[in-house]
Amino acid sequence: MEKLLKELQQAALQRETRRHFFQTCSTGLGAMALGSFLSSCGWGGNKATPASGLAGPTEPMMPRPAQFNPKAKRVIYIHMAGSPSQLELFDYKPELVKYHGRDCPQELLEGKKFAFIRGVPKMLGPQGKFAQYGQSGAWLSDYLPHLQGVVDEISFLKAMHTDQFNHAPAQLLMHTGSARLGRPSIGSWVTYGLGSENDDLPGFVVLASGGKQPDAGKSVWGSGFLPTVYQGVQCRTDGDPVLYVSDPAGMNRDIRKQTIDAITEINQQAYNEVNDPEILTRISQYELAFRMQMSVPDAMDIKSEPQYIMDLYGADPNVGSFARNCLLARRLVERGVRFVQLFDWGWDTHGTSADGALEIGLKNKCRESDQAVAGLLKDLKQRGLLDDTLVVWGGEFGRTPMQENRDGLTLPFMGRDHHLDAFTVWMAGGGVRKGFSYGETDDIGYYGVKDKVHVHDLHATILHLLGFDHEQLTYPFQGRSFRLTDVAGKVVKPVLA
Amino acid sequence: MKPKRLLIGGLGTVVLLSSFSMLGVFEQKVDYNTQIKPILNKQCIACHGGVKKTAGFSLLFRHEALAPTKSGKPAIVPGDADASEMIRRLTLDDPEERMPLDGPPLSEDEIQLLRDWVDQGAEWGDHWAYTPVEKPEVPRPGSFWDQLGSVIPGLAESDETAWAKNEIDYFVLDGLRTVRDTTADAQLAKTLRPSAEASRATLLRRVSLDLTGLPPTPEQVSAFVNDTSPDAYEKQVDRLLASSAYGEKWAGMWLDLARYADTKGYERDPGRQIWRYRDWLIKAFNDDKPYNLFLTEQLAGDLMPNRDPLTGLPPDDQLVATGFHRNTMNNDEGGTQDEEFRVAAVIDRVNTTWDVFGGTTFACVQCHSHPYDPFTHEEYYKYMAFFNNTRDEDVTTDTPTLRFYKDKDSVRVQELYSWMGRLAPPGQTAQQRQFLRTLEPKFNSHALDQYQKASLLDAKFFGILHEGSGRLPNVTLTGQNRLLIAWSNETPGATLTIRRDSLNGPVLVSLPVPAPARDTVQIFPIPEVAGRHNLFFRLDNPKGGNKWVSIKWIAFQRAMPGQSAHRLGAVEMEYALLLNKRPQSTPILLDGTGDLARPTQVFDRGNWLVKTKRVQPDVPKSILPLSPDLPRNRLGLARWMTDRKHPLTARVAVNRFWEQLFGTGLVETVEDLGTQGSTPTHRALLDYLAAEFMETDGWRIKKMLRRMVLSATYRQQSAAPAALVTADPTNKYLARGPRVRLAAEQVRDQALAVSGLLNPKMYGPSVMPPQPDGIWQSPYNGESWKLSDATDRNRRALYTYWKRTAPYPSMITFDSPSREFCQVRRLRTNTPLQALVTLNDPVYVEAARTLADCVREQARTPEEQIKAAFRRVALREIEPRKLAVLLRLYRNTEQHYRQHPDEAQQLMGFEQASPALAALTVTTNTVLNLDEVITKE
Repeated sequence: MEKLLKELQQAALQRETRRHFFQTCSTGLGAMALGSFLSSCGWGGNKATPASGLAGPTEPMMPRPAQFNPKAKRVIYIHMAGSPSQLELFDYKPELVKYHGRDCPQELLEGKKFAFIRGVPKMLGPQGKFAQYGQSGAWLSDYLPHLQGVVDEISFLKAMHTDQFNHAPAQLLMHTGSARLGRPSIGSWVTYGLGSENDDLPGFVVLASGGKQPDAGKSVWGSGFLPTVYQGVQCRTDGDPVLYVSDPAGMNRDIRKQTIDAITEINQQAYNEVNDPEILTRISQYELAFRMQMSVPDAMDIKSEPQYIMDLYGADPNVGSFARNCLLARRLVERGVRFVQLFDWGWDTHGTSADGALEIGLKNKCRESDQAVAGLLKDLKQRGLLDDTLVVWGGEFGRTPMQENRDGLTLPFMGRDHHLDAFTVWMAGGGVRKGFSYGETDDIGYYGVKDKVHVHDLHATILHLLGFDHEQLTYPFQGRSFRLTDVAGKVVKPVLA
Repeated sequence: MKPKRLLIGGLGTVVLLSSFSMLGVFEQKVDYNTQIKPILNKQCIACHGGVKKTAGFSLLFRHEALAPTKSGKPAIVPGDADASEMIRRLTLDDPEERMPLDGPPLSEDEIQLLRDWVDQGAEWGDHWAYTPVEKPEVPRPGSFWDQLGSVIPGLAESDETAWAKNEIDYFVLDGLRTVRDTTADAQLAKTLRPSAEASRATLLRRVSLDLTGLPPTPEQVSAFVNDTSPDAYEKQVDRLLASSAYGEKWAGMWLDLARYADTKGYERDPGRQIWRYRDWLIKAFNDDKPYNLFLTEQLAGDLMPNRDPLTGLPPDDQLVATGFHRNTMNNDEGGTQDEEFRVAAVIDRVNTTWDVFGGTTFACVQCHSHPYDPFTHEEYYKYMAFFNNTRDEDVTTDTPTLRFYKDKDSVRVQELYSWMGRLAPPGQTAQQRQFLRTLEPKFNSHALDQYQKASLLDAKFFGILHEGSGRLPNVTLTGQNRLLIAWSNETPGATLTIRRDSLNGPVLVSLPVPAPARDTVQIFPIPEVAGRHNLFFRLDNPKGGNKWVSIKWIAFQRAMPGQSAHRLGAVEMEYALLLNKRPQSTPILLDGTGDLARPTQVFDRGNWLVKTKRVQPDVPKSILPLSPDLPRNRLGLARWMTDRKHPLTARVAVNRFWEQLFGTGLVETVEDLGTQGSTPTHRALLDYLAAEFMETDGWRIKKMLRRMVLSATYRQQSAAPAALVTADPTNKYLARGPRVRLAAEQVRDQALAVSGLLNPKMYGPSVMPPQPDGIWQSPYNGESWKLSDATDRNRRALYTYWKRTAPYPSMITFDSPSREFCQVRRLRTNTPLQALVTLNDPVYVEAARTLADCVREQARTPEEQIKAAFRRVALREIEPRKLAVLLRLYRNTEQHYRQHPDEAQQLMGFEQASPALAALTVTTNTVLNLDEVITKE
């Protein structure tokens, strides 16, 4: 402990020295880079600045104001990869019970394509038991007992729809606004727009659980054509939390510090000789790397959390899990990380196996995550963070009201195929209306019939809560200005508080 | 001496007078490109251009702009600004009517300019990059300025002339002088002077890294430093251009453009064997294959005329070259539609071709006519038609591939060939020979439709149950008496019956389904039937229950000469046996013909499901019309692209070479030379180089690179006075040498090279150097990162296995793209994660250890050892002040390790590790992280 304190003191002292160095040795440099950065951000009027203005900014992560007064300052986005069934969790359809086991009417199948359903499938009634909860009377199933206690914090979007019914393209659309690879993810856009409030940690952190990365791979937190500094940094649950953050075995912190000092001193000499401002940036990045070596493991080490907090989330400090990631997410936003992206794999319930069964696998996934999600909302609230932290929960698409009959066969378990026309996403915290439900689907939950929300609309709304007009947060690339919502997107005003 | 400043003042007035506000007075001709188009693009085109044509008015093309608008009248009347509604609208007071709507009005100067332009006839001009390359005259020193007798304080005019080494320098000098003489920035005018040549050591390190991607050895540096011959530098350049490392460096650069990867991408991202294409690239660069041929073979190697009479195929290396466009992704995710992702691949090929060779953002035109550049929506699809006829269809096997039979199998293939040769003249068995090499042409199983008790299993293979059926439409059977089928089955006793024209039509053939079979290829005789037919497949599989018979592909061929029409001959049995082999193979392009030729239609607003008008292959006419002599296929397209009159190909190429050497292109946006790209810093130089490349160099890249690196411009030192850096922060005027961080590959290769770890082995399958656990997660195919053996670990970076969804981490950290799509330009970032890589990645720690070990043997004292280490890495003598810093680090560290010998052992990884060696390793780790080391100076 004493050693750690000493280290932190040392780090603080070091930072002070560096700041002094920058003030004395590079007057005007920071301002210059900042100027070029802001003018290329696409707000404040002039939009047509070439991308190169951003290529080597000295402080790309410097915190920046939004376009207008934001309700949310940071985001925790919980993505249940594979896509949970809205019909088992949120979208209560008593009518569907009646149709259970009957052949799907032909008119529901005409002109439709499914990922796996072939021929005529059977209808499948909801597997959960639904009731209303909270002041708001939100419908929830018994799959989510803990969420029942926080429904009055939440706005449910029940008539979400998307364009893609395969995992990888649908996840890409959900996170980058495009089903094709190559666009920046929402977290990259947000850190590009707002910078980060903690310069000892990455501004955009990704935490994955469930034993597998999202189907679309790293592209769902990639920076696309934005500079790579804005891509999500995956903090791993095993090994180094950030790649190469640990010093080699046999090199202690003091020696590492001495090497950084030597590098800095020699680089300063080099700068004096050649006057390349890039050297100053490099000096500051080595300093930051050194600080990250302490701050990242510190942020990621949840052993210091008291037992009642562990219990709130249902987290075990020694086991990598979704619950632990929820707790980490709170620790990260608490430290000023702008965007925390959680992925939890294992929600793809086709009914081909017990793990992928609505009555077994989905229940298990809910059991593993329900307490943690509810705990996260409660914890954020008790720390006063929920007011300006936006929490988003959802999958990449919905599930069919029909039982899947993969390759025309009867499957051994209850399962539903991918479905793009109806699913539920919920939001809570930073600027979101409390205890609200928006949008309706038809009697069997097949199509949205009222207040539909497209993925682009969700993006527009998230950016709005963060203080951006989604049409104005742009980046020039290949001859035109690109934005997260491409050429679409409307802010869902009714869910704004 | 007469001070220059007075002269500048005078000139400034002249320049001011000629600015556009005075044009009306002088009746000067308005230039569309430089004066009008920027105004239109900024103020008008968003509403009156390709995407939107508000009120029926578009300013994109002249014929559109002069056409009647919604009001019935044209908005521009050439020669009469007063009668032109467009001009009137600019000056109104009513905010509802005045243009630009909802924006500030145009300045008086701008309105006057537009007025003059309309009065002068409203002529459109072509963007500079879309006009043919004309070789500009080389600016000669003294032609103008010397006549004025000007003398620059400090450096005499004649000194600058003496500084110049070749034509490039005259253009650069001309640019510097023009800026000096016209700028209002006194600081800029004062400081813009060419810099002196870099020291020999620095220069050799720079040119070695640029041409070969590797630093020179200390011995090479000292040989150069001590070489007093006048052509010492030229000799070094020629040595580097001739080294095999040259091809590796430039192939590495090209891999980003080709979006090369060892996996297929998308969700499953399974492995793909396409490293032969990378080997082809290395050889092409090393052989200095002319760029026009280099381009042609990659786009159309399969269509080259020099065909082998035996197979009807061009030579293998030309087929392998077409791997360029087989690096598109392939989606093997369950449930995905092959056609959707086939189309995605074709669109990617179109966009990549334009990005890489055309430096133009053609992708915009996919959805609508180009808002700024002269391309229409329909032209996109005409261009796509060149690429839309290839046989690849997003199938899991990645066919067409070129199969390489090895060992015994290759002997058998040769024996089969000679057997076939004895049966008939070679041309008559070309069909079979081609099929043995490529497994094409064939119908992939997704071509079947009208399923009953049948399904496209996992959206991949046609599966059929007992009493199920499906249809294969439009098969020309004339002359075909062999059916080839690849299928899988588990239950014995199944029969597949194929009927013509309907489910009850005449039986073509009844086939016993083998069991067990897994993608088994079989050949069956079928009766000869004339004409084109729909074929109906029906399965009887009484014992099959819920078990599928699945079909992967079907092909129709003619029996080999001399074989019975009704029974397979021995030679055909051998043929079938070889088709069942799974040899190494590499994806290639092959066009479909006959039943397999594919028409192209326009996609409405880019949506592939909404197809409209049918189109034929053609090029955008505004660039250069397609000569009627050229075939309307990819070969004709490549010939068009490499035509001397094509305005873009050579400009884009030399701009890229320049960017690789100087860090920034003459047009900074290497990916876009169109109207939205950056303005060239030295347009005449770019055109001069493009013309020289085509004419003098015969498209040979080495000649062009040699010209560039021999210029005095390139040889300048990069260290500069602070005033120059402030005056020209991005070095666009080229008054100093390039100073940029090394590329991802170079950072790694240099560390391996200076520590002596680098294994220079060339070619072959990709290798897997150490990477942290848990980077790869491949849930379906179970592929894993298998650490290569000790020597293969230390190969050059371009041989590292590239998985698209989880690329090698340190490469990504240093700005490599994921290679899912073509990325024309890497933006250089400077991040803390990069520092963590070179500080802590085991690859770099290993390099530090090895380097320490090496210098410890070379020198006795710590001081000498540190000097030696610095010499090996930075290739020059260390400055005393820097040495003092490192020596202090060494001494402190050594003291620590003396007290903690266990830590020294941990760091070094062996028990007898001395504190001195550990301290030296800490020091070399530090040296490898210095800015001057990871930077090209």
